[in-house]
Amino acid sequence: MQIFNSGFFWFVEGILFCVMVLGLRAVARDRSIPLTWWKWLAFGVWVLLAGFTIAFVGTSFGEGEPTAAIRGGLMFGLVAIIAAVVLWRVWMIGAPSQAAEKVTDS
Amino acid sequence: MGHRPKLRRRLRIRRRTLLRILVVVAALALALAFGRTRAAPDLTVPIGEIFSEAASFAEERGVFRAYDGEGRLLGWAASGSESGYGGPMLLVAGIDTLGRIAGVKVVEQRETPIFWRMARAPEYLKAVVGVPYDEIEYDYVEVIGVTGATISTGAVIASIRESVAEVAGAAFDVSLPLPTRPFEFGLLEITILVLFFAGIAAQRVSGPLRGRIRWVCQIAGLLIIGFWKDSPITLAKIAAMLSGFFPDPRTSLALYLLIAGFVVTSVVWGRNVYCLYACPFGAAQRCVGLIGGKSLKLPAWSVRLMGHLRNLIVFAAIFMAFLTLQPALSSYEPFAALFSLHGSTLQWLLLFIVLVVSLVISEPWCNFFCPMRSVEIVLQDIRRAARRTPRARPHD
Repeated sequence: MQIFNSGFFWFVEGILFCVMVLGLRAVARDRSIPLTWWKWLAFGVWVLLAGFTIAFVGTSFGEGEPTAAIRGGLMFGLVAIIAAVVLWRVWMIGAPSQAAEKVTDS
Repeated sequence: MGHRPKLRRRLRIRRRTLLRILVVVAALALALAFGRTRAAPDLTVPIGEIFSEAASFAEERGVFRAYDGEGRLLGWAASGSESGYGGPMLLVAGIDTLGRIAGVKVVEQRETPIFWRMARAPEYLKAVVGVPYDEIEYDYVEVIGVTGATISTGAVIASIRESVAEVAGAAFDVSLPLPTRPFEFGLLEITILVLFFAGIAAQRVSGPLRGRIRWVCQIAGLLIIGFWKDSPITLAKIAAMLSGFFPDPRTSLALYLLIAGFVVTSVVWGRNVYCLYACPFGAAQRCVGLIGGKSLKLPAWSVRLMGHLRNLIVFAAIFMAFLTLQPALSSYEPFAALFSLHGSTLQWLLLFIVLVVSLVISEPWCNFFCPMRSVEIVLQDIRRAARRTPRARPHD
């Protein structure tokens, strides 16, 4: 599990989070969702949480504590997944409803 | 005439249901009988561990005398038993000839591994070694709310004191006061009563008000029965009662209230108020489901299949509990993992799966895994047989 302690891993993770930022921006633009500072703040908090979860699992495995890694991963992973759903719902605030979109399309 | 085939069909179904119930009950009874017929533990083994130089023992009215190879008296020992979380636990305490506690050994205990760890029993057992028999300071009141497993810890302490009192009475002719276990009636018990009454009252109102009452009750249940007290009904508690190990009502009144409310509302009134209004884990799933926002509808065959699977798991868990006379073995619920952050890796995994699935499927634990649902079905069948009314839907 040396990979978790390497700079390369965090470099890859940084790239993935950047891809997420670009993806969220693209979704917001496609669906005409207004982007506000607090949505980005919520995303930032989630990134910290997800990063912490990955770091916890990685460092626990690295220190030879597989039980702590698994339990911590399940515990913080659960919180991160639920928080991701909350983030998605926050992100969609202000999105025009699908019915309104259909009317505009026609 | 037209009614005859229908009646015949119904009778056949009833006969099949009856046969199934009989087979299940017979299997469980056999397992329980087998578990009960096990030989009583040989107390000389743990006493020999306490008095390592002991070569022979003599027993008189439950108090053992330990002698060394030359026939010199090493000390006395007796057992003490108190009801814990999963059933009675049996401890043996030895007192040397100077009146100091030579050691305490656990002979039998039926607690779940997590609660046993939380009870910090080894610490208590070690701490009393060398202490004069009349100077044990532990009292049940001291540990309430300290360990997170007060019933288990209280049982350990009561067992130690009971066995020490037994020896003190026989060897030194001293009557030691036995530990007091106060009658617990507090916010938890009041909350349970209020939730049941609110749940029954809510059925008399309709529209959004009923939904609001349910939300308020569930949130209260989640916070008080769940996160604060971690006292939901578990299969281990039911298996313990079915095994004949009834917990002390002074310390487990909340459990009796929950089970009585569950059974009475299911059988008499036809609506299981516990699951709908008081169950903290059901509330947790609903909260997560609210975050998810969408509820997928599963095909009926898969729901039926999962129901059969759940019944099988519950049967296997109770069977094992009866066979080994270890009710704690039947506990597979992830409640402790969520409410007190204590659980095995398997329970954490189960909690993870259930709560993630709750984002997209309504209350998956209640519908597919919860042993109380199987108990509820049995109770509803009893009610249906008595009143010939259709079985209520799981959780509406």
